[in-house]
Amino acid sequence: MSEDAIKLWAIIVSVGAANLLVRLSFIALLANKTMPQLLTRALRYVAVAMITALVLPMVLTTTAAPAVMAFWPNAKLIAALIALVVAFFTRSTCWTLVAGMGALWLLQAATSV
Amino acid sequence: MLPAAVALIPFGLVCGVDAAAVGASPLASIGLSAIVFSGAAQILATQLYAAGAPLAVIVLTCFVIGLRLAMYSAAMAPHLGTFPARWRYLSAFLLTDQAFAATISRFETSADKDRALSHFLGGGIVLWSGWQLMTMAGYFLGNVIPASWSLEFAVPLCFIALLGPLLRERPAIAAAVAAAVAVVLLAGLPMRLNIVVAGIIGIAVGTLAELALERKTAAQEQFR
Repeated sequence: MSEDAIKLWAIIVSVGAANLLVRLSFIALLANKTMPQLLTRALRYVAVAMITALVLPMVLTTTAAPAVMAFWPNAKLIAALIALVVAFFTRSTCWTLVAGMGALWLLQAATSV
Repeated sequence: MLPAAVALIPFGLVCGVDAAAVGASPLASIGLSAIVFSGAAQILATQLYAAGAPLAVIVLTCFVIGLRLAMYSAAMAPHLGTFPARWRYLSAFLLTDQAFAATISRFETSADKDRALSHFLGGGIVLWSGWQLMTMAGYFLGNVIPASWSLEFAVPLCFIALLGPLLRERPAIAAAVAAAVAVVLLAGLPMRLNIVVAGIIGIAVGTLAELALERKTAAQEQFR
């Protein structure tokens, strides 16, 4: 194995191990303990806050390197907001995907003309 | 779990293409997605590797971006207490953004924890297997889908599909707005720390909003 290949495997194993430890952390430590009420309340907002923080940079960041955040004009942002409204009212992933991809394609077609 | 599976098609392809682009061997590409099993960490690791970053920096960066998994782990923990350790450890390994987002509401609302867990584990195994196939397809076939289709946009859309229905109550909206503002304002932080920090800020704001709302309704009750 070349030095590069060895380094890549070292990365794979150590990143994999670190990720697994993070995933295990609370499941292994807290599974049989009762948690303080404030903490169980806070945990209900994990999904909504983390998904928002995860999604927004994907929508705002341009694909060109170096990546920068673009608010306007940003077809992805407009399409994402349309998709969010559709998701709110329909609760359907299918319609959200259709609306979001459709809006993006239309906007891209409109701006490239 | 279906939306999660749809999201991983473009994401997995991108990860495979990325691994091929930095010159990983087929076996290393498979090892990367089978062991790390996290699109964000895989892309970061391959890009930092291509940039010649030292091992410690790569591991640390991937660890920081993976910290959000600790919050998912904490949110899952109270629901898994009654299950044998082997199921808990398997669910930890299968814990991803998509699997968590698709099942946590089941754990919270359903009294039947067995069903929620089998949904999570079954879906998690499907996601893991599908992930391997998609990264392999990306690795061997290269960019099979034209870039002009912007298919990678399906990844945020699938998260948005999960996010939309969560925004029904005011504290949840407050949590999302706070996280959104924070992730933009903190974009300058290194190692993409802004995502985890913004998540924590959002969680804190949501919790405080809930407490404030409760106090307000309690005060109104007293007047009656």
